[in-house]
Amino acid sequence: MVDRDADHHDRDADHHDRDPTAAAGDRAAPTRSHTAPDEPSALAGVDLAIGYPSTDAPVVECERIDVPRGEITALVGPNGSGKSTLLKSLAGQLDPDAGRVLLDGREIATRSSKELARELGHLSQEHDSPGGITVEDLVYHGRYPHRGFFEAVSEADRRAVDRAIDLAGVAHIRDREVGDLSGGQKQLAWIAMVLAQETDVLLLDEPTTFLDLHHQLRVLETLRRLNDEEGVTIGIVLHDIAQAARFADYLVALSDGEPYDWGPPREVVTEELLADVFRVDASVRYTPDPEIAPRYALDDGSGGGESDGERGDGPRGTGR
Amino acid sequence: MAADADTSLGAAGGTRRARFGWIDGTLVAFCLAGLGVTLASLLVQVSFGTYTMTVSEAWRAVLDPAVWGNPGVFLTFLLGEGLARAVLEPLGVSTAPVELSTATNIVWNVRLPRVLVGVLVGAALSVSGAIFQAVTRNELASPFILGVSSGAGLAILLTLVVFGGLAYLLPLIAAAGGAGAFALVYAIAWKGGTSPVRLVLAGVIVSTVFGSLQTALFFFAGDVGVVQQAIAWTTGSLTGVGWEQVRVSLPWTVLSVGLALAGARQLNVLLLGERTASSLGVAVERIRFALSGVAILAAAASIAVAGVVSFVGLIVPHMARNVVGGDYRRLMVGCLFAGPALMTAADAGARLFFELAFNQPTQLPAGIVTGLVGGPYFLYLMRSQQRMGEL
Repeated sequence: MVDRDADHHDRDADHHDRDPTAAAGDRAAPTRSHTAPDEPSALAGVDLAIGYPSTDAPVVECERIDVPRGEITALVGPNGSGKSTLLKSLAGQLDPDAGRVLLDGREIATRSSKELARELGHLSQEHDSPGGITVEDLVYHGRYPHRGFFEAVSEADRRAVDRAIDLAGVAHIRDREVGDLSGGQKQLAWIAMVLAQETDVLLLDEPTTFLDLHHQLRVLETLRRLNDEEGVTIGIVLHDIAQAARFADYLVALSDGEPYDWGPPREVVTEELLADVFRVDASVRYTPDPEIAPRYALDDGSGGGESDGERGDGPRGTGR
Repeated sequence: MAADADTSLGAAGGTRRARFGWIDGTLVAFCLAGLGVTLASLLVQVSFGTYTMTVSEAWRAVLDPAVWGNPGVFLTFLLGEGLARAVLEPLGVSTAPVELSTATNIVWNVRLPRVLVGVLVGAALSVSGAIFQAVTRNELASPFILGVSSGAGLAILLTLVVFGGLAYLLPLIAAAGGAGAFALVYAIAWKGGTSPVRLVLAGVIVSTVFGSLQTALFFFAGDVGVVQQAIAWTTGSLTGVGWEQVRVSLPWTVLSVGLALAGARQLNVLLLGERTASSLGVAVERIRFALSGVAILAAAASIAVAGVVSFVGLIVPHMARNVVGGDYRRLMVGCLFAGPALMTAADAGARLFFELAFNQPTQLPAGIVTGLVGGPYFLYLMRSQQRMGEL
């Protein structure tokens, strides 16, 4: 569902404190250094303001967000920071109140819905598994945008489905009914479905939440392989910052509906970020893998304002 | 790419995904069973009645070469005298009346068309129900939960009680009333888009209000005849239908069923949930509206000839789903055979029960029988199935 909660209403209050213009140039730097200027981002949002019909103020406001081509970008942030909302807009499933989303440099709104679905795959956080269909049936649905109204299944469809089933490692449950599978197997089946779409860009909303560790890793390994072997650009919302730091090439941390920091995990994941954004006192070490050891939850009674002092010296500390 | 794995898996997948790979033994058996029940009902319907004949006589009348071997006679039945003459005369085929035996006359003029209307109504209602269950993603959906039956019923009562002069337009008015009520429900449920839950809630509320108005109108009905006519229409009856009704219903039923079959794949994707469907490139609102339109067309085609027959649109998709599974390509085909079977069997019961049991020529509205048979069957399904409630 909509990933936000009551503390959005505070957002406007600390909006100005959170966005020192001095820091903006500083923060934009990693974006540019990370993406070669002659190769624009696969997916970018510009001057976005995203809200829902039921809210007056936008839930997400974001000057610029980039999903660099050929990399895995993780969106992280606490509950209610607007990760899912932002992802939905980037996927063209939620029209922003203002701003543009560019896929391959062209606005996504100029594409038909089928055209978009051939270029960008999106797996939402919740999906209903209809009864009585097999994993294979489900994966074939991923071919929907590639088929005309009366077109039968083509050889290309068959190949794409077999490849997706293979990549997601669900060949052994191919003929099982989706409704009878465990949560982890279901998730892999759904991932196989978006893989069958054969898109160059794939956006996934918390695909590992509620899965056991084994299946979490299976999902992430599948995505990593897809990225390594075929250069698919991946944008993924992850709940677990430690997992995101290990898994992603590029990280965007959202706080109260605005990007707080972005860049390679090593630069983004710091003790300050955990304190400011996640309201957690934690130690962060790189050995060289990132290790995050949370100690205790910081008092959040007075909202985000109290952290301003700590953040006075800039959003990014040294990672140690 | 894992090219080597592809080839081995491709071969296995290939055999299963031929163009009509989804047609299997279960589906064929289900359809044959439906066809069998329909034919048995046909046999019973043409044999029994006030003018009773033996089964072999009845079949001889049904297959009478005087009709089948004579395009003039056959098309006059099917198309009506005027249209048949317009079609046949340029071709030089005679449409002159042919002397038919009494049995053939009764079977072809009275009993056969009634069965045909039953087939059309059963097919249209069950396809309509199947669409609504997918569009609203609700097991309880039927053409009539979304306001159609109450709208049609209200239109019927208004016509009979208040605008008696328009009674000859009743089929049209009933169908328009149903479609109008659905449009109202859709408009109420629309809030920058619809949602299955809002559609069902709006349907229930509109039905309740219109139902109250219907009951109020009964108070103003002048005489028992009007009340009985109103009841026959609002419970659904095939009493007295003939070729005229076949001609009214046939084109719309064929059209809507054809569109429904073509839309089966869209329905399958819609069942994955709105968000997934939309991510896959389905224009969800447009498809939902278009398919609802098809379902309304099918429901209206049946209301216009038989009134509001309850339960068929609810139960037949369940029966079919229970046997052939949730794939809408299979489900639609299953409905096309199971719907006519239920409808014609129910009508045979409605027409003949009193006649055979008490030797009285009273006929029940078929809708009463579908309710009496369908209700308990639905409960049986509900009790025996673990997974009922998951579409």
